[in-house]
Amino acid sequence: MSAATEATDCTLGEAMIAALARTIRDGTLVFHGFGSPLVQLAMHVAKRTHAPDMVLVAGATYGVNPRPPFLTPTSNDWVLDRGAECALDIEELFDLAASGRMGRMFLSGVQIDRYGRTNVTRLGQGEAAKKLPGGGGGCNLSCDVEAVTLWTAAHRTRADRAGRRQFRIVESCDFVTNVGHRTADGRTRQAMGYRGGGPDRLITDLGLFDFEADGELRLIGLYPDTTVDDVLDNTAFRPRLAETIAPIPMPDAEVVGIIRALDPMHVHEHELRAEDRDRRFALGPTALPRAAVATA
Amino acid sequence: MSTVHTTADKLVDLPTLVGRIRPGDTLAVGGGLSSREPMAAIRELIRQGIDGLRVVGSAHGIDIDLLCGAGAVSATAESYVGFEHDFGAAPNYRRACESGAVRVEDSCCYTIVQQLRAAIEGLPFMPVRSARGSSFMELHPEYRTMTCPFTGQELLLVPALAPDVALLHAQYGDAHGNLRIEGPPVADLLFAKASRQVLATVERVVSTEELATLGGVTIPYFYVSAVAEVRFGAHPTACYPFYAYDRPHTKQYHEAASAGADAFAERYLAPFVHGVADHATYLERVGGAAVLDRLAGWSTDDEVWLALYADAEPAA
Repeated sequence: MSAATEATDCTLGEAMIAALARTIRDGTLVFHGFGSPLVQLAMHVAKRTHAPDMVLVAGATYGVNPRPPFLTPTSNDWVLDRGAECALDIEELFDLAASGRMGRMFLSGVQIDRYGRTNVTRLGQGEAAKKLPGGGGGCNLSCDVEAVTLWTAAHRTRADRAGRRQFRIVESCDFVTNVGHRTADGRTRQAMGYRGGGPDRLITDLGLFDFEADGELRLIGLYPDTTVDDVLDNTAFRPRLAETIAPIPMPDAEVVGIIRALDPMHVHEHELRAEDRDRRFALGPTALPRAAVATA
Repeated sequence: MSTVHTTADKLVDLPTLVGRIRPGDTLAVGGGLSSREPMAAIRELIRQGIDGLRVVGSAHGIDIDLLCGAGAVSATAESYVGFEHDFGAAPNYRRACESGAVRVEDSCCYTIVQQLRAAIEGLPFMPVRSARGSSFMELHPEYRTMTCPFTGQELLLVPALAPDVALLHAQYGDAHGNLRIEGPPVADLLFAKASRQVLATVERVVSTEELATLGGVTIPYFYVSAVAEVRFGAHPTACYPFYAYDRPHTKQYHEAASAGADAFAERYLAPFVHGVADHATYLERVGGAAVLDRLAGWSTDDEVWLALYADAEPAA
């Protein structure tokens, strides 16, 4: 893999992919939805480094452990099924989550709020509401899956021509497509008897967050080029800050090499704003456990 | 009440097949996203002026967007309609929902699966643990909750969903109506079993013996009421192993749709739907053999396959 030896730094997209990959635990069944190239790549990185025994279920095709030759810009394509050991049908995929076998799922939103609820259905209310594409099976999975990683590459918000800012990270979603640590009307997961534990990480283009025991979002990590003020300025409410805010670990050359080989068309950059595609960082020391990498 | 379709010969032409869809029907469109959408049938449906449809399904794209852009839809209970990160939101769908022309009854995949399962099993409803607590509850006043008599847990009850028509595109079928789907079936099997009738276009009509040789039947004939052979019937979506996704055409579609309703009517509906007499004329209009042979050549090698996507730059 020549790309691996050539990598001397990494992009924001690659750093986000590595951070997403680190949320995956080996030996668990992990699923990504459609339209999630950063997550698709993160799952393949995890499978080829620290999580060789994860059950990788591809979004849209429901192929199990595929080895795609390259990433395509749409999710339901035979390219992405290449080498799959087997495939699930739609009812089996969701049954796995409902019965407690799905270890992790990834969800995003045009709004993500302080309790990890996400909205991909409708912005605003009434006549002025904007229709969003919808959430697929995310709603069901947000209740059922053992753990959820949230992500967005659009945390930074700029004012529109009228000077308004449509924040991505908000106090409360206009429509709760996917539940977080609270329901749409504020009830807890425990009160609802959901099977899953809800989101445990949020990875954005500005920082890394976890959720405290009471379900609230908390900043725990930053990129080399972002600050706490960047996060506060681009968040619609004041998020909690961890006592120690650590640098987000950067991927090593092997991880970057896997990403570049799998994504020759840079499909994952479609998720990033144009100005963020130029952000580059020094490679990290081997970010994933060396022993695990050696067995991949 | 569901029935069985036992006619020995179900082969019809495309206009006859589509003519069995009634205005106001609840329509389950097969395939998903950029794969195996019954696009030729959808274009014919629009030409015939069938409207007032209530569309139900999981993750869709150009199929539902085109139906919305042509004014054929009155309500949508899909779980997703868009073009992923390839081209973004579905412009016609969004306009139709925001103007109120289409009633928004968005759903989620497993909820729909459970509703279809209820219809398949002849039950009035199915329970589901998830979706309670989300805002979907406000879009669906028909949902009910109950306390489980065995565990005391609260469950959501969702009513049976039996579409009037499942409109599918399969790789193979026979005259009797047996269908063979290769690759991800998405929700097609559930749609077929839950719906009152299946209308199917297929790339190739083969003998029943040949279906067995190819690997067997995916959807038994008695669910199916009519079959039409329509080659490249999923274009511009993919129908492997016959052809890949036509990304440049989809980009052209999306640009026309993004430019507004009038621009879409002029730049897409007129040249590719209303202004073509039949599917053969459509195939010429989208580039004829030069384009179709290229899409069919995906399996030559990975470089050729890759090049099919690389020639349309992503939308900004």
